[in-house]
Amino acid sequence: MELWVGAICLGLVYAFTGIGIFITFRVHNFPDITVDGSFTLGAAVGAVLIASGANPFVSILAAFVAAALAGVVTAAIHTKLNVNGLLAGILVMTGLYSVNLHVMARSNIPLLDKTTCFTYLQSVNPGMHPEVWTCCGLVLLNVLFWLLMTLFLKTDYGITMRAVGNNPDMAAANGVHVNAYKTFGLALANGFAGVSGCLVAQYQGFADIGMGIGTVLMGLAAVIIGESVISSPSVAAQVFGVLLGSVIFRLMIAFALSIGMNPIDLKLLTAFFVLLTLVISAGVARGKGEKGGVLGALGTVLKLRRFRYVTAGAVLAILAFLGYRHYTKGPLRTGQEYRIGVVQYTSHEVLDSARDGFVAELKRLGYQPGQNCKLQLENANGDMPTVSSIIDKFNTEKLDIVVTISTPCTQAAINKITDRPIVFTTVANPFVIGAGKTETDHLPNVTGAYGEARMDKIVNIVHTLIPRKLKVGTIWNPALANSVVHLGNLKKALASCPDYTLVETTVTSTSEVYEAANALNNKGAELFLLISDNTVFSAFDSVMKVARRNNIPVFLSNLDRLQDGTLGCLGFDFSGAGAQGAQLVDRILKGEKPSGIPFEHYRDETFGLNLDAAKNFGITIPDEFIKQATFLHKDGKRVPGPAARKAAEGPGPAVPGAHKRIALLVFNDNIILRQTIGGVMEELEKSGVLRKYNMTVDTKSAQGEFAMAQSIAQDFVRQQYDYIITISTPALQVTAQVNKKIPHVFGAVTDPYRMGVAKTSAEHQPNLTGVASFQPIAATVALMRKVLPNAKRIGIVWNPAEACSEACTYKTREVVKDYGFELIEATVSGTGEVPDALRSVLGRKVDIFFTSGDNTVNLARPTIAQILREKKIPYFTNAPNDVLQGSCVSIGADYVEVGRETGRMAVRVINGEDPRTIPIKDYVPKKIAVNLPLAREIGITIPEDVVKQAESSEKQP
Amino acid sequence: MITIRDLRKTFNAGTANEVRPLRGVNLEVKEGDFVTIIGTNGSGKSSLLNAVAGKFLPDSGSILIGGEDVTRKWDWQRARHIARVFQNPFTGTAPDMTIAENLHIAWLRGRTHYPRLGLNAGRRSAYREQVRQLEMQLEDRLDNVIGTLSGGQRQALTLLMAVLSQPKVLLLDEHTAALDPKTAAQVIKLTRRFVEKDRLTTLMVTHSMQQALELGNRTIMMNAGQIIEDIPLEEKRHHTVEDLLDKFAELRKTEQLTEEMLESLRREYA
Ligand SMILES: Nc1ncnc2c1ncn2[C@@H]1O[C@H](COP(=O)(O)OP(=O)(O)OP(=O)(O)O)[C@@H](O)[C@H]1O
Ligand SMILES: [Mg+2]
Repeated sequence: MELWVGAICLGLVYAFTGIGIFITFRVHNFPDITVDGSFTLGAAVGAVLIASGANPFVSILAAFVAAALAGVVTAAIHTKLNVNGLLAGILVMTGLYSVNLHVMARSNIPLLDKTTCFTYLQSVNPGMHPEVWTCCGLVLLNVLFWLLMTLFLKTDYGITMRAVGNNPDMAAANGVHVNAYKTFGLALANGFAGVSGCLVAQYQGFADIGMGIGTVLMGLAAVIIGESVISSPSVAAQVFGVLLGSVIFRLMIAFALSIGMNPIDLKLLTAFFVLLTLVISAGVARGKGEKGGVLGALGTVLKLRRFRYVTAGAVLAILAFLGYRHYTKGPLRTGQEYRIGVVQYTSHEVLDSARDGFVAELKRLGYQPGQNCKLQLENANGDMPTVSSIIDKFNTEKLDIVVTISTPCTQAAINKITDRPIVFTTVANPFVIGAGKTETDHLPNVTGAYGEARMDKIVNIVHTLIPRKLKVGTIWNPALANSVVHLGNLKKALASCPDYTLVETTVTSTSEVYEAANALNNKGAELFLLISDNTVFSAFDSVMKVARRNNIPVFLSNLDRLQDGTLGCLGFDFSGAGAQGAQLVDRILKGEKPSGIPFEHYRDETFGLNLDAAKNFGITIPDEFIKQATFLHKDGKRVPGPAARKAAEGPGPAVPGAHKRIALLVFNDNIILRQTIGGVMEELEKSGVLRKYNMTVDTKSAQGEFAMAQSIAQDFVRQQYDYIITISTPALQVTAQVNKKIPHVFGAVTDPYRMGVAKTSAEHQPNLTGVASFQPIAATVALMRKVLPNAKRIGIVWNPAEACSEACTYKTREVVKDYGFELIEATVSGTGEVPDALRSVLGRKVDIFFTSGDNTVNLARPTIAQILREKKIPYFTNAPNDVLQGSCVSIGADYVEVGRETGRMAVRVINGEDPRTIPIKDYVPKKIAVNLPLAREIGITIPEDVVKQAESSEKQP
Repeated sequence: MITIRDLRKTFNAGTANEVRPLRGVNLEVKEGDFVTIIGTNGSGKSSLLNAVAGKFLPDSGSILIGGEDVTRKWDWQRARHIARVFQNPFTGTAPDMTIAENLHIAWLRGRTHYPRLGLNAGRRSAYREQVRQLEMQLEDRLDNVIGTLSGGQRQALTLLMAVLSQPKVLLLDEHTAALDPKTAAQVIKLTRRFVEKDRLTTLMVTHSMQQALELGNRTIMMNAGQIIEDIPLEEKRHHTVEDLLDKFAELRKTEQLTEEMLESLRREYA
């Protein structure tokens, strides 16, 4: 219920943007994309006013005026300076980002307990469900708007405006000042977008700097859907169509979500739908006789008005079909026996571990070979024709699904099998073999897990180990498609590392590898950084021979070569890759279509270090790395590293009959949030609740879009999940607004108190609790004093537009006094200004440089690190991973740990505790990371106990 | 009514694409004059009309309309006094708007715009009467969008729109060239009627020698950006198409026309 009503409400508030887009794109024929910015501007102006206690209706008016001004600026740039309209829009939209930040003075303004229009609306609620009542109010508002808009378009102004858009030459010939009307139209359109933004902010309970992204496309979708549903020349009908289109669009999204469609595919569907309708209408326009050509012909064919209904109908039918599939697919039926065929190319450490991982995961998912499924494991032993016949056999036996392990098997299978699903794994690059064009656009019956070695990470690691000018050598076979891709990645990675230059030699067969390695040595290569090239790896021993003789360290992406004396490897855990394959098989057997499942990238990275080799080369490996290692080679033996995957624990006693569902919402997919989710999952897994209550966790990412987050949260409520976990501040904000019942645990939130969901740690919205993680400013300053007893001045560069950064800086100002430091500040408004600001601070003789939770400044971290290193000034930060990027000492949140903390809290809630009684946990980050080589280089001695603490902070819970 | 002095215009000056459509045009048109303009392709006829309408600003020279110097004015500012009909029936009307709305735009010419529902019942019945004059059975289709009309109907409407709010000057640029002969004759009939009724000062470009001789009280001939002949009404009476062609031959002798130009003129006007 909430989902559908909520979707209608969203559609109705976004309808104003739809009308704005209608005015620019349709009435004026002007592709104005200022709207992305003016939508946020409206929200920002409105939110600032409301937060300061202004009347919410007045704030809507102000939002209109401000956003209209943005439109005027675009129009002026276009008409006065003769800049192309699209470009003018992009310019203003870009500029508005800064303006909006200034208006808001931070990136997010909460309105949770402020008086908004909706507060007034609810105060006259005759007793209806609040959401339904809101919907009624919005319907009324839209009807009014519809009447006014229709009337307006029929006034002398309106008629002239339409004439200007429809035929500017004719309008000018009739004495109309075309540019003035263009300006007027743009002002009106952007004004409406601003109103829309202001309403959305009030409806969702906050304004955020990123909320405007994609608004133009949403509005365009509304216009286009409206046109296909109601096709009439009457102005009243057209305006009504846009309002209706906006609602239909949100309903479509809600529907797609409710049938379990991945939000990623949703965008694709929207884009495709919009494109299709655009092509058709372009065809119709051309068909009117301007130009011939393909589009013209298409236009004549598609001119049939009925065709629009056909398109709309087709999309609805597809969605309905998906829905039908969703509702008919059930849990694993016990009576049926699934037949799964697995083919592997050869027996090889990597492929075997992928297979074992696959089988183990399949069992864990409830498929018991011999009981409810038949599993055929085949091995072609490196013989291509055998692969072929195995696949033929699978074909004749009519298996339900075929699993291919390795690239050659996959290649053979996708050529031979088209009528049943194929799941591949252990394929570096499925795109070069034609399994797909992109992760989502692939052969309809094929999906799987793949992964390319992360050359950028490898280069980063090596550079931390050997941070000096260096010639890096690599050998590759240009005939191998995979190698070409890998080499491209390596070059890209090296391009951002000015210290390293690449020398390369190519080979065409294994016999040339030894020669090539010698050649590299002659060219002065001081390090071999090898990409995964099958030719080179088959003759790997010859590379090692040359490397050993010339004392050249080797780094690569294959873990199995660690014992051969390579310095380190960063690659993938292939048993994890196998497990991913098993999960895909499970999804397909439960009714999902492979065509709808995007290719997945491997999740589990492996990181191996050879400490013996490091000692030989005199390289000190930072503790940070050792902690991240999944394998270590030490004293001639290979041992699991601190980060090794813990062996799956035995299933705990399951509560019979229980089936509970957790919904997990994350705002976007950045690394910090992914780490947090990793921690949450680890803890859920470890505690055994997943097995005990037979739980499933549905993870949804809002792709950084607020409207999407809103719809997902509404969907969670509608589907009556048993628990909700949110990761990130916007995810919490959105969910707290729509869900007041389902127990909710949040994580990766800096300050829940500022957002209005809680007053103190104990006093919070009753159905939720979670983990707040502040920056450990005081601890950082204390650490500075400890490391540098004689230092006097600390330099800091920060962006006053970021609320979080502001808080950090204020706190720093307070704390430095206690330790006898002086704080030297410089402010910036963009990342580009950071180097200058940094130099100005350095010019005032600072002994330490510090940055905390400032996103603008942190984006420039590599530059900062470079400059500071040259000047030999220690760099302190608040995120332990920073030491990999050149910071010297860092103390801060380990987001995996934040995730674990969140997970532990979720476990408490799942085990029956009431969130009301669980105080919000103020997680005090205390993970210390030190970049010892850098410290040594710039002449700083880190006290022994700090180094120890850096080591021990890992072991703390 | 129209005074043009030494009007010059160069496009793409200094490039390989340089063209000089106006090379010192002098013209004096009295109030109520109906001037037809003939000349070869590219001789600058349309450019002259565009210059008068303000589509582009001239490089030098001046244009006076009713004694007012409009040389530096924008087209939409001049449009209050100058109405035009183009060759292409699609340029003169807004295709996605109704007949009534298009006429209303024309009616608003030279009037101050207010945010009011100006297209009321009174205006509509006035428009219906005007449209009736076109004799094209459009009076009952005021709410049809222009896009559904034929080219001839659109051109007749454009003509009506041009004269609707009594301009001082009417500019017609081959406005019947794209129409079939029957419709063209109807549009010419309407042109004659409208111009005579309001005694409009008119400049009309045509490629039909017949039209040039039959319509108006004066014919001018353009060549290479200049006016090379000006035939007043008295002379026109005695002229036949052949006479005009002879005139061309004469010009050839005085080296004002090249042989090719003469040929193309013959082809066009004979
Ligand atoms: N905006 C412009 N930019 C560049 N050149 C132009 C422009 N307008 C006209 N011209 C050029 O000026 C010359 C005169 O053109 P104009 O249209 O005045 O001729 P015309 O006498 O009307 O010819 P026609 O009988 O073919 O209509 C042509 O060579 C034309 O290409
Ligand atoms: Mg012309």
